[in-house]
Amino acid sequence: MIELKNITKKFNESTVNETTIFNDFNFTVKKGEFVSVVGSNGSGKTTLLNLIAGTYLPTSGSIILDGTDITKQKEFVRARRMSRVFQDPFKGVASNMTIAENLSLAENKGRLYGLSKGVSKSKTEYYKELVSSIGLGLEDKMNIPMGTLSGGQRQAVSLIMATMTPIDILILDEHTAALDPHTADTIMEITDKIVKEKNLTTIMVTHNLRYATEYGNRLVMMDKGNIIMDKSGEEKQKTKTDDILSVFVEISVECGN
Amino acid sequence: MDLILNTGIDGIKLGLCYAIVAMGMYIAYSVLDFPDLTADGSFPLGGVVGTIILYRFSLNPIFALLGGFVCGAVAGMVTGILHVKFNISKLLSSIITMTALLSVTLALTKLLTKTEFTTVNFSYTANGFSGLFNNGNEVLSNTKIIIILLVCVVAIKILLDLFFSTKLGFMLTATGNNESVVNSLGKDCGFYKILGLGIANGLMGLSGALYAQLTRNYDNTCGSGKVVLALASVIIGLSLFSKIRFVKPTTAVIIGGIIYSLALNYFTIIDSDGTYLKIMNAACFAIILIVNNGLKKNRVKKAAKTVKKGGEPL
Repeated sequence: MIELKNITKKFNESTVNETTIFNDFNFTVKKGEFVSVVGSNGSGKTTLLNLIAGTYLPTSGSIILDGTDITKQKEFVRARRMSRVFQDPFKGVASNMTIAENLSLAENKGRLYGLSKGVSKSKTEYYKELVSSIGLGLEDKMNIPMGTLSGGQRQAVSLIMATMTPIDILILDEHTAALDPHTADTIMEITDKIVKEKNLTTIMVTHNLRYATEYGNRLVMMDKGNIIMDKSGEEKQKTKTDDILSVFVEISVECGN
Repeated sequence: MDLILNTGIDGIKLGLCYAIVAMGMYIAYSVLDFPDLTADGSFPLGGVVGTIILYRFSLNPIFALLGGFVCGAVAGMVTGILHVKFNISKLLSSIITMTALLSVTLALTKLLTKTEFTTVNFSYTANGFSGLFNNGNEVLSNTKIIIILLVCVVAIKILLDLFFSTKLGFMLTATGNNESVVNSLGKDCGFYKILGLGIANGLMGLSGALYAQLTRNYDNTCGSGKVVLALASVIIGLSLFSKIRFVKPTTAVIIGGIIYSLALNYFTIIDSDGTYLKIMNAACFAIILIVNNGLKKNRVKKAAKTVKKGGEPL
């Protein structure tokens, strides 16, 4: 599905502050895989997502999505085929707009935003059904601005918005990190449900090792721009949180954390 | 007594005219989060273009308004393009356009008067041509003037309300609110910013053309202070009605414009030669901002209290 070939990414190139995050990095995600990516701070997880989403362009190398080279494509062009849920619950929704308005924007993704009516009554009914499926009681708040909702509710709506239209890849960028443990669990369950229902190819970066082992069918650990652990299928099923924790502690100690 | 009444009527007439500038500023400042200073240039631009259309081409006054709108819109789009395509900051790109427009309006004034004098009061009645509010030397009654102005303002308000309930309107709101949402929908924020600034300044140009017809006079300096006036109207309107949900922001902004213009007009009774008008303008604006910030702080405090008490479910 998506392939990163010989990626090199340098920041502040040709200055004294030059840092190389990736050097000849290769990474492939197959269709239908749900990959959890873990790693210490500065290991390159978020840079990896930013390269895939197009926030950063690689210094060299190429990115192939489903056979087409998207290395030079702008972020908003790539967004037509992939959706991203951010760590910050404010980033995925327009907080001055109501839930219904946000959902109507997301539903129209990939089509023309013209002078047709934004939200109709029949649409509101459909949106209500959609949000009632996640069971947070949001169906009674359709005409309330997103800004008045809590972080967890916003993140749930972001997830629905990200997956409303057919997409090739869902990118989850530590999307539970800003939430309290209980809410994070709820959001993770909703995520898993949506991913399974729609059979989405998913890349999830997380700091929560339990989520990484419990959810998804592939586990990747990164350190200093390299993949140091890559388990999938049965091997992944057998992996326990403690197993990866010990590896994690090892690399963290090396970093001096 | 007569003086107070007449000042009030004049204030309402001007206020209705300024309400259109205020609606334009509402789109730029509140919807797009773009403090747009282009207004000081696009307002007189609309005025001079409208006057040229009336005087040189003798077209229907409605065309003068449309011409003002189109030229203002082009000016707004220039600001947008400077910001979006060349990464110039919002404030600076609008200052650049505003400065350039000063020359554009002067050049157009030469075209209007066909003389070398550029600082002019170009009177409609003295030159014997008609606008919406006068037929040669005959000026319409106050009631008729206010009705015509009301029709213009309400028509624009309804069109804007309809526009902002469409998908395209939603995208404009989302652009000002959170660019990453628009990006993630696979659309370019830049396009919506340019479009929005075009509409905003189009309204300012239209208002300029209307203002020239209302005062039956085009004056090159009529643009100065329009940014402050528009911003003040927007902030007064929005903060007055912030708690009442069924009042649309466009309505709030119109009322804000009328209130501000009335206040300024009454001030001219005391300050008859206009020396202190601008400082009054500035002071009014400062007070509005200070009061508005105070209100906001209170609201935040109250909100924090309710969260502490009960907390929100999930």
